[in-house]
Amino acid sequence: MGLFDWAGKLSRRGFLAGGAATIAAVAVTGPTILADPKNAAAETAGLSAEESRALLKFVRDLFPHDRLDNSFYAKAIAPLQDEAAKDPGTRKLLADGIAQLNASVGKAYVDVTDESVRVAAIKKIEGGAFFTKVYGGAMTPLYNQPELWPKFGYEGPSSALGGYLHRGFNDIDWL
Amino acid sequence: MPAKFDLNDSSVVVIVGSGAGGGTLANELAKKGISVVVLEAGKRMEMTDFKNDEIGMFGAFSWLDPRTASGTWYVAKTSPDLPAWICKLVGGTTVHWGAVALRFQEHEFKTRSRYGAVAGANLLDWPIDLNELAPYYDRAEMRMGVTGTHGIPRLPASNHCKVLFAGAKKIGYTKYWTTNLAVNPVPRDGRAGCQQTGFCVQGCTFGAKWSTLYVDIPQAEATGKAEVRAESQVLRIEHDASGKVTGVVYADAAGKLQRQKARIVCVAGNSIESPRLLLNSSSSLFPQGLANSSGQVGRNYMRHTTSLVFAAFDNPVHMYRGTANGGIVMDEARLDTKRGFVGGYNLETLPQGLPSFATNLMPGEWGRDRAFWVDNYVNIAGVWIIGEDLARETNRVTLHPDRKDKFGMPIPNVHVDDHPNDLAMQNHALGQADALYKSIGAKRTLHRLPFPSTHNMGTNRMSEKPADGVVNRFGRAHDIKNLFISDGSQFTSSGGENPTLTIVALALRQSEYIADQMSKGAI
Repeated sequence: MGLFDWAGKLSRRGFLAGGAATIAAVAVTGPTILADPKNAAAETAGLSAEESRALLKFVRDLFPHDRLDNSFYAKAIAPLQDEAAKDPGTRKLLADGIAQLNASVGKAYVDVTDESVRVAAIKKIEGGAFFTKVYGGAMTPLYNQPELWPKFGYEGPSSALGGYLHRGFNDIDWL
Repeated sequence: MPAKFDLNDSSVVVIVGSGAGGGTLANELAKKGISVVVLEAGKRMEMTDFKNDEIGMFGAFSWLDPRTASGTWYVAKTSPDLPAWICKLVGGTTVHWGAVALRFQEHEFKTRSRYGAVAGANLLDWPIDLNELAPYYDRAEMRMGVTGTHGIPRLPASNHCKVLFAGAKKIGYTKYWTTNLAVNPVPRDGRAGCQQTGFCVQGCTFGAKWSTLYVDIPQAEATGKAEVRAESQVLRIEHDASGKVTGVVYADAAGKLQRQKARIVCVAGNSIESPRLLLNSSSSLFPQGLANSSGQVGRNYMRHTTSLVFAAFDNPVHMYRGTANGGIVMDEARLDTKRGFVGGYNLETLPQGLPSFATNLMPGEWGRDRAFWVDNYVNIAGVWIIGEDLARETNRVTLHPDRKDKFGMPIPNVHVDDHPNDLAMQNHALGQADALYKSIGAKRTLHRLPFPSTHNMGTNRMSEKPADGVVNRFGRAHDIKNLFISDGSQFTSSGGENPTLTIVALALRQSEYIADQMSKGAI
């Protein structure tokens, strides 16, 4: 979980820029990231729109930031959607997990307005296969979006701007 | 002009690995006119390949070959397939390192004598002491350009350092400053001065930070006496009937097996790969693995007693701005058993960019409590605890019984059970870091328990007596006179300091010994 799953949780949509990095990611994850040719050939449907909405809500509840609109979470779940479209095992894992969340709250998970009810439903599945898959699969794609960084005040790459030597590395004024 | 040596040239010194130990040794030997072949498992990258991209660079040059972890340590639970965070490229972990360049303290070379017989630990004095290493520390500091030494000024304090120092002052500490760093404060030695970029760990894009990748390796090649073969993973060290090593078998960039003959073999693959290679080189003459008549190869693995403490304030810190490991508090580095443990620890700033911080923060946790920390990212300061980890025989690197890598070499397992001393030190340090930050208004603190180790030491340790360790005072194998260990796996104790400066000092000293022995025809 976390930082040290980076190499295993990067999406095929290219959060890693550059060939060498991609090779490293593929080498370490092996068959789990490479689409099985059998599956790629089969006509497997991805998640339904309804399921995708539920998945987005679930990820939002795992990493709830009121300052972020849904577009950031949509990008966070895109790698999981891709994988579900190509791999029936992933599709089933996600669909079953969503069904379990729905069953737990007694209606469509996305329609539950009370956050504490949704949180209680998540607590029941915490640490399980669905939870772990989504937690690991969506976290890095969520937080590694350069468009998201300014929302939290993070300035991103600095080399091209000459570092922070003349841009506030020591400007603290409240100590 | 890089040299080119024949595979059958048995006059060369083969060095396995090109990081702090291997890269330094290659440079020194080549400058003395000795022919050197460096075999590096990773690829060759250049400074221009580095990007201010935490996750991309992690994928680009971390050592991601399969490994496993076991034992009671937190890393085995949270990162069971990545026990260490080290690098796989020319330059090794000197590409990623935070550049903190501290000397070990006098007592840390003599842990058995000074700490006594600690139950459950396997303490041993180094066969050398601080006085003996001091001239090599001097040389290491000068060649690496360490701030705060030899008239090289210290770096200015960043916001993140200033927060640490304000808290340190408030709780009565007195030993805090911008730390000894192998980072140029101003242009020096043909390299730029630090621009306070903040992406030290992703590879310094200005070359202000010392790394063998762009300092020692090119210098070695320029002598015409050194050849560096990248993407060359050594699988076995071979020997003759008399027990002398004769060369190595390695897989080249195309995956083809090659045999390089050698007069001397120096192993510098870091404390996981070095014992792995010795263990995998077992033979009828050396059934327990090379240089392992003591049974100590792979044992006494030490990382550091470690954790991170983050503190959330009401006002901005911008911890990501500036040199990563900029500030240090050294008040707790002393030996003082009244605190309830032997050894000491340092507190060092360790900022993280948002992608790294947000994904690494609280393994397995979710929801509003976790989100709080990301929401407050600009207001957060963080400090890294790095303390002495005690040697234990059962903390060890072994060959996995079943799993093999793509070349058929058994993968390593790293087993660590926390010693009560480590936990006592960790708890003390967490409490002190909390108090430090709360004294200046932190509203909350967070403890991030140990993560994969970049400091790895001790698995081929130095000993006076052959029965107690693997190598002698010069890093030469007790059992085999033309086999050397040239990395941090030589360490007899871990100290409470970052290991690189000591690795470089030992390599400088070893290079003199090797050259002397060669000139006398002794090896």
